[in-house]
Amino acid sequence: MLEIDGLSVRFGGVTALDGVSLHVGARELVGLVGPNGAGKTTLFNAIAGTVRTQRGAVRFDGQDLSRRPAYARARHGIGRTFQIPQPMHALTVADNLTVAQRFGAGRVDPQALDELLALVGLADKGFADAATELSLTELKSLEVAKALATRPRLLLLDEVLAGLEAHGKRRFARMLAEIHQRLQLAIVVIEHDIETISALCPRVAVLDFGRLIADGTPDSVFADAAVIASYTGVAAHA
Amino acid sequence: MSAAAGTRIAWAVVLGLVLYAGVPYALAGNLYLMSMIVAALTIGGIALAWALLGNLGGLVSFGHAAFFGVGAYASALLVMKSGWPIAFAVVAGGVVAALSAVLVLPALRLRGPYFALAVLAYAHIFRIVATEWKGLTNGAGGLSNIPRFPVVAGYDFASKTGGYWIALSLVLAFVLVYWRVRESHYGTALRAMLHSEEATRAVGVNSTLLKAMMLFLSAFMTGVMGAFNAHYINFLEPDYAFSGLWTMLPIVAAIFGGYRTLFGPIVGAVVVYLVDQLVFKAVMPIGHQIVLGALLAAMILFSPGGLLPLLTRRPGRAQHA
Repeated sequence: MLEIDGLSVRFGGVTALDGVSLHVGARELVGLVGPNGAGKTTLFNAIAGTVRTQRGAVRFDGQDLSRRPAYARARHGIGRTFQIPQPMHALTVADNLTVAQRFGAGRVDPQALDELLALVGLADKGFADAATELSLTELKSLEVAKALATRPRLLLLDEVLAGLEAHGKRRFARMLAEIHQRLQLAIVVIEHDIETISALCPRVAVLDFGRLIADGTPDSVFADAAVIASYTGVAAHA
Repeated sequence: MSAAAGTRIAWAVVLGLVLYAGVPYALAGNLYLMSMIVAALTIGGIALAWALLGNLGGLVSFGHAAFFGVGAYASALLVMKSGWPIAFAVVAGGVVAALSAVLVLPALRLRGPYFALAVLAYAHIFRIVATEWKGLTNGAGGLSNIPRFPVVAGYDFASKTGGYWIALSLVLAFVLVYWRVRESHYGTALRAMLHSEEATRAVGVNSTLLKAMMLFLSAFMTGVMGAFNAHYINFLEPDYAFSGLWTMLPIVAAIFGGYRTLFGPIVGAVVVYLVDQLVFKAVMPIGHQIVLGALLAAMILFSPGGLLPLLTRRPGRAQHA
C-alpha cells in the first residue's frame, strides 16, 4: 500500500534520509525505531508531505504522491500525529475532529465523531478547549483521534507513547492495538521503548543516520548486531 | 420557536424599520447629514471587508484602496462603454476587483507586515495604471457624468435616500455573508489555521486556498462598495478612487468599532466619520483628524477589542486578552 523507494532528504549539508526504501502493506502494524536524530520524524514528514524530498518516491495505493502537498496526502488517506501534540487552537475537541472529518474525509459525521471520542477515551471532553483544557495523555489521544477523523488507511504515529508513565503507556498501547484491529488500517509507530514496541508490533524497522539498517520481526531486529551497535554505540560480538 | 428567538426576530424587525424607514424619515430634509451617513456606510462596507480578511484570513491589508478603485472603474466603464445596466455592473465591479486580487496571490506566502506592505505597493501600482492608461480611464482627467442609479418602480435611487438604502442593503448583505462564512466549517478551519497552520493542513485543509478565498471575498466586497460609490457620486479620478484614505479610514473604523465583531466595523465607521465630520471639523476646521487619532489611541489602550465589546461588556467583569 505504502511504497517508499530510495527516498533522500537533505537539509542544507545534512543528510537526514539517505536512500530509504520501505514498503508497508494494508493493515500492517510496523514499529519504527532508531536513536535520536536517525531520521524517523523526517521520514514521517516526507511521507505526509511536510518536507521536500530530493530523491526517491512516495507511492500510496499505486499513486505517486511525491510532489503532492500535505493536505492532499491527508485526503488521500495518510493520517499523521505530531511528536509534540498540535491541537488546533481556539477550537473545542469536537471541532478539531469536525474540521478533520470535513476536510480530510470529505464529510461531517456526528455519530462517527462520538464513536471516535469514545474510542480514544475522550467521550466527556468534546466541549473542552483543545489547546488549554487537556492533560498530556488527552492531548495525545486527541492527536490520534484527529488523524483518525480523516478516515486514513495509513496512520503515522510519532512518539504518541513517549512521556507517559508505565501504566499509561500500556493502556495507550492497548488502545492502539484496538484501533488497529477495529479500523483495519495500516499503522507505522515511532517509539523508543523496545519492550513496548516488541509487544505491539509484529514488524520493526530501524533507522540509523538516515539509513534503514534493519527490518523484520522484533526478535530478529533487536538481535541484529548493527542495531545493537546503533543503540549502544559499541559493536556487538557474535 | 423559542421565546428568545422570537425576541431576537422582533428586535431585528424594529431595527430594520428604524434603519430603512426611521432614519430617512427623520433626516429627510437634511441632505448634508444624509450624504455623511452614506459616506460612512461606504467606509463601513470596506471596513467590514477588511476585518473579514484579518479575522478569517489572518491577513492585514494596507491596500484595500486598490480593490475599491478597481471596482469603481470597472463598474463605471462597463456602464459607460459597454452599456451594462448599473445593477449588473456594480456586481461585476466586485468580480473584477476579486479577479484583480489574483495578482496579490504571490504575496499570500508573506506574513504579518510583509503582506500588508506588498498589498500597499500593489495599490500604488493600480493608481499608476489608472492614471497612465488614458485610452481606457481618461487618465488623470478622470471620468465624469458616470450614470447614476436609475428610477425603479417610480422611486429615484439616485436621490440621497436611494443611495442610503442601497449602501445600507449592501452593508447588511455583507454582514450576512461574513456571518455565514464565519459559522461554517470553513470559518472553523480558518480559525484553527491562524494559530496551528501545520496541524490544520495535516487533517486535509488546503490553507492557502482558504486564505485566497477570503482575499477574493474581501476584494469583492470592497470592489462592490467602490462601484456603488462611483455611481453615487458619478465622478472618478485615479487620485480619488485609489486614495489611501479608502484604506486608512476603514482600518481606523474597524479597529475603533471592534474588528473582531460583525457589526463593529460598521458602527465604528458611522461613529468615527460622523463625529469627525460634524463635531471635530466644526470645532477645529484644520487638523481635526488629530482628535480622531487620539481617540483611536485611547480606544486601543483602554479597550483593544473596540467600541462594541466596550459597550456590551458586563460591568465588574474585567476582560483580559
